[in-house]
Formats: sequence, structure tokens, C-alpha cells
Amino acid sequence: MTRIVDELFAALFALTDIRQLMRETKPSYKLTEEQRKFLEKKISRVRDSLDVIEREFR
Amino acid sequence: MGKTANLDIREREEKYINIQPIQAAGRLTADAMKAIIAYGDGYSTCDLCLKPFRLDFIKKPPIADFYTELAEFVNMDVARVMPGARRAFQAVALALLRRGDIALISSLGHYTLALAIEEAGAEWREIPKNEDNILTAEATAEKIERVKRENGKLPKLIAMHHFDYQYGNEHEIREIIKIGHEYGIPVLYNGAYTIGVMEVDGKKLGADFLVGSGHKSMASPAPTGVLAMDEEWAKVVLRTTDARGDITGRKFGIKEVHLLGCTVMGAPLLGMMASFPHVRERVKHWGEEVKKSNYFIKEMLKIEGTKCLSEYPRRHTLTRVFTGGFDKVAKTHKKGGFFLTKELSKRRITGPFPGATKEWKLNTYGLTWEQVRYTANAFKEIAEAYGLRVE
Repeated sequence: MTRIVDELFAALFALTDIRQLMRETKPSYKLTEEQRKFLEKKISRVRDSLDVIEREFR
Repeated sequence: MGKTANLDIREREEKYINIQPIQAAGRLTADAMKAIIAYGDGYSTCDLCLKPFRLDFIKKPPIADFYTELAEFVNMDVARVMPGARRAFQAVALALLRRGDIALISSLGHYTLALAIEEAGAEWREIPKNEDNILTAEATAEKIERVKRENGKLPKLIAMHHFDYQYGNEHEIREIIKIGHEYGIPVLYNGAYTIGVMEVDGKKLGADFLVGSGHKSMASPAPTGVLAMDEEWAKVVLRTTDARGDITGRKFGIKEVHLLGCTVMGAPLLGMMASFPHVRERVKHWGEEVKKSNYFIKEMLKIEGTKCLSEYPRRHTLTRVFTGGFDKVAKTHKKGGFFLTKELSKRRITGPFPGATKEWKLNTYGLTWEQVRYTANAFKEIAEAYGLRVE
């Protein structure tokens, strides 16, 4: 059950990486191909972690 | 704008290009932000604080290692994390100065140095800057001689910045340290605007004390700073308690008196530690940051009425400018100086002192080339929109 804690931090950290990406690309937020891939990876990490948390709490 | 509890969320760094002079190099890394999430609880650093019960001995999280690495980073024997550079000044002043002593500071020095000296019961005297706003070894020697002549004794301490906070100018720090030592006076190197952005080698400089600011230049939360010194000075400044309670007979082990025992704990310390590997790497790229600074100022100087009040070409990313053209516009604009603030804000740029159009400071540290170019173009665009000449 403690997996939900690991996933919580994984999601928060992935969101923090996205936050950093916003800081680096403001004010246009235009992404390079590499940044776009990075963003997709982080978003998918957040989604997966939230799925686990939702499932475990059910 | 979102809220957390009753606080507005600070989203300045996510929404705006921020050229505020003192915030630039203290912006956190992603790793520091993560550390804050995980270590926000009060005594989070103390889960495994074992004998001898002192912060710099804690192995998990690896605080002891960090202290060692920090000393190596600035090439000094011993380092301590302090709650800001000001607390480092205070610890040195309290350890070295006594009532009636005199300490020398720069005429561009930070006020907290003056307060630290006053708190120790000593007096501070200023070393004058020259017409280019530079502190020289010659002026230092003259001031030492003057203090000696007028007071019959030498100053007990010299505290000097490498780059000052008012102009971001480089001062004759190596030569000033040498002069101090020729008179037998210890010198505190104030690296609030250097340690964490450029390579600083304490032994090469010959400084007795190095002081840095975590929240100004080490991508760290406030309040954080560094105090580093050699083994000999550590015996004085980091002396441990030897007092004993008259009723209980209590003693407090190896707590360092001038540091009031453990210093920075929890999220600020862990944030600083998390940023440290990035800081160690980024100091190698200082040259590139200075290039961006010079590019930006060069572009600003194309705007009618603009002058660089700092030394130019720039050797730092913090710069003081005079923007006479914008000031001329402000005199007739219904919003006064706030017209510039508003125009910048519309372009998602923030940082210059709100309402200032005449003399103000900026810092380009940490911006990408794209952001630097965008910001320079924005200033030129605003100038043109208000009828100022742009080369």
C-alpha cells in the first residue's frame, strides 16, 4: 500500500520538471523537439502515478 | 492567479522573464524544488541526528558530506552553512571584534556588515570608492593608515566584496587582501555575488574568510549562506562551548558558540544541497553568462538616453543603468514611471524596480539566449513606441 506514497512523489516531481520547463521557455512556451519529448514523458509519468493512486485507494 | 491557503501563488518565475537584480541567481533548480516538497517539515533533517548531536555530523541525509564538499568547492579547510551571508558576517564580527575596535568595510558595502560590526560593539569605517566606483588596494592602504593615525591602532578586520551589489563592479579584491595581510589584518571576502555563479578559490585569493549567499547566488531557498575559513580561524570563529550550568551542571557538548549550535536545517538546507551539483557545474559557464550580460547592455545602449552606470564591458550579470529616454517619457505620461513597468508586464517581463525609469538595476543571470534577446528587443520596441530613437 505504501506504493501510493512513492507514486505521489513521482507525480509531484514530474510536475516539478514541467514547472522547470515552463521557467526555461517562458514567455512563449515554445518547445524544441527534445523538450516536447521530455514534456510527454513527464505528463505520462504523472498520469501513470495518478492511476496507481486512484486504483490503490479504491 | 491561484491560491494556497490565503496566500497568492508566486508564479513570477513561470509567467515572466525576471531581471530583478537580486533574485536571478537564487532561483531554484528543479531538484531544489523537489527537495522542498520532500523536506518541508520543521525538523526533517533530524530524523537520524545521532551523537554528537550537531547538524554537520548528520550522515542521512548526507549533510556531513555536503559540508565537506562545500569547503572543497571554495577551496577552504572548513565550511558552514549559515542563515544568509549576514549571519556569517555576524559570526566573524562577534568572534574577532571587541568594544572600541575598528573594522573597515567598502563604501559600497552591504548594510548588514555595518550592523554586524555595531552589534559586536566595534565601529566601522568606510574605504572610499574611486570615480569609477571601484574599491582599490591603494584606497584601502590609505584608510588603514588614516585609522592608525587618528586612533593609534590598526583596524581589526577588513570586509570586502569581490563584486558589489550596487553596480556589480569588480574590485581589487586580491590586492586588497594582500594589503590587509601586510598590516596583519584579516580579510573577509564577501562573495555574495560570486560564490555559486563563478569559480572562487579561497586559498588562491588568500582570504581569511569567505562568505557567500545561498539565496542570492547558489540557487537556494532563503535564508542560506556559506562561511568558510582555514583551520586556524576555525579555532576562533567556530569555537565550541565550555560553559556549564550553575544549578544543573549542564554542558552543551560541541555546539559552536558563534553559530548558536545548529544553523540552517530543513527545507532551506536540503534545497541548497539539492542545487549544489548544478551550482558546481554552472560556475564553469560564468563566461557565457557575462557574454549574455554584455549583449543585453549593448542592445540597451542603442536606446536614446541610456547609459551603463556600471563598468563596461560588463564582468558581471548585475548592472546599474541610467535610462534617460524612458525617464523623459515618464515625465509626461499619465502613469509616470509606471508606464515602463506596465509595458514590460504586457510583454511578460518583470524585475526593474516598479515605477523606476531613471536609474535602476537588472540581472540577466540564468536567462537563456532566447530570453535575453526577447527582453532586449522588448525594451527597444517600447522605446520606439514612445518615440525614442533606437540605433
